[in-house]
Amino acid sequence: MRSSQPWQEVADAMLAETIASAPAGTATDAEAELYRRFAPRVRLFGLKHLREEAAAQDLVHQVFIVTLERLRAGEVRNAEAIGSFILGTSRTMASAQRRVGNRREALLDRFEDANAMAAPLDAATLDLPRVARCLDTLPLRDRTILILTFYAEKPAPDIAAEVQLAPGAVRVARSRALARMRECLSGGSDRTRPTPA
Amino acid sequence: MTGERCARGMNFADVFDYWTRDLPTADAEQVEQHLFECSECARYLEEIVAIGRAIGTGMRGAQFQSIVTESVLNSLSRDGLRIRTYTPDPGKTIPCAVWADDDLIVTRLRADFTGFEQVELLLARNDGVELSRIKDIPVGAATREIVDAVPAARLRALPACQLRLVLSGVREGKSQVIAEYGLEHAGNVVRS
Repeated sequence: MRSSQPWQEVADAMLAETIASAPAGTATDAEAELYRRFAPRVRLFGLKHLREEAAAQDLVHQVFIVTLERLRAGEVRNAEAIGSFILGTSRTMASAQRRVGNRREALLDRFEDANAMAAPLDAATLDLPRVARCLDTLPLRDRTILILTFYAEKPAPDIAAEVQLAPGAVRVARSRALARMRECLSGGSDRTRPTPA
Repeated sequence: MTGERCARGMNFADVFDYWTRDLPTADAEQVEQHLFECSECARYLEEIVAIGRAIGTGMRGAQFQSIVTESVLNSLSRDGLRIRTYTPDPGKTIPCAVWADDDLIVTRLRADFTGFEQVELLLARNDGVELSRIKDIPVGAATREIVDAVPAARLRALPACQLRLVLSGVREGKSQVIAEYGLEHAGNVVRS
């Protein structure tokens, strides 16, 4: 059973056991903590596999409904593997969403809406002018590699062909550039270049 | 998170490669499994995604100046950005302007880059005021031109003036001008 530790310090398995052993719906703090820890991971999984923010958010909701229901019903046998359980549920649910999505796309192809709006831009969670300044501090090749990675969504071998480097060198440069971006965005210098006109 | 690996030994570069789909399926599944067990790597991936999305948003919003590749330019066109392109010849001056609905101004600079390294591009007013300088432009044996993309919003702030674009680099240990281009900037043009 749980000691007097704050929920944030309790191991994943203990959270799962607490939810499973409490009367259904009464371990709200433990459920909230489980959600706080794993919802971002399920969202990222959804973004990677479903490619859309809305679909990823839907996935988070579906996965947590199933996870909490199964925990409350005592159907998660190994609390130590709660992460694996959530991952497995995410895979199953994402696969089902993809099938629905494919059917939807097929229907849209047949009955295309000529007035359909372009998807709105993502709400930026980072300060864009600061991102621009940090991007400016990178060597041009590294900046190009990040743009090709994140904007053009190209894999390393394609980027390598464009910037005339080996794929391994692209991956190294990409990691280095990301590390510099993270450092810059977390408060490092972003004023090493003059601001362009 | 300060080192190259998380406390459980996962290489952060592998987490990055997982996100960019540069890992074989079996390795990607292993990283995916790890992400559901390791909060440190999950947080790292969140940061990667946030930075990536900001870069994507900034590109789609024409907020970054950069030398770009043809494929990036094609992606920007597909995303619906209104791109105005100028292709000045070396040694010549051409008229240019920024229109109210332009998102991005692209300048294609053709030159002979053979043997050059440490290539840089200077944009300056004719009165000598430097507006931007891009250093270490990668050029290879196949490079015949570089493509400079500047947010139209930035150029819109400029009054009508004469601009110079100077490409320079180092060849055989000597710093020299590769080519120079002139732009007769008419300022911000509004359709009547």
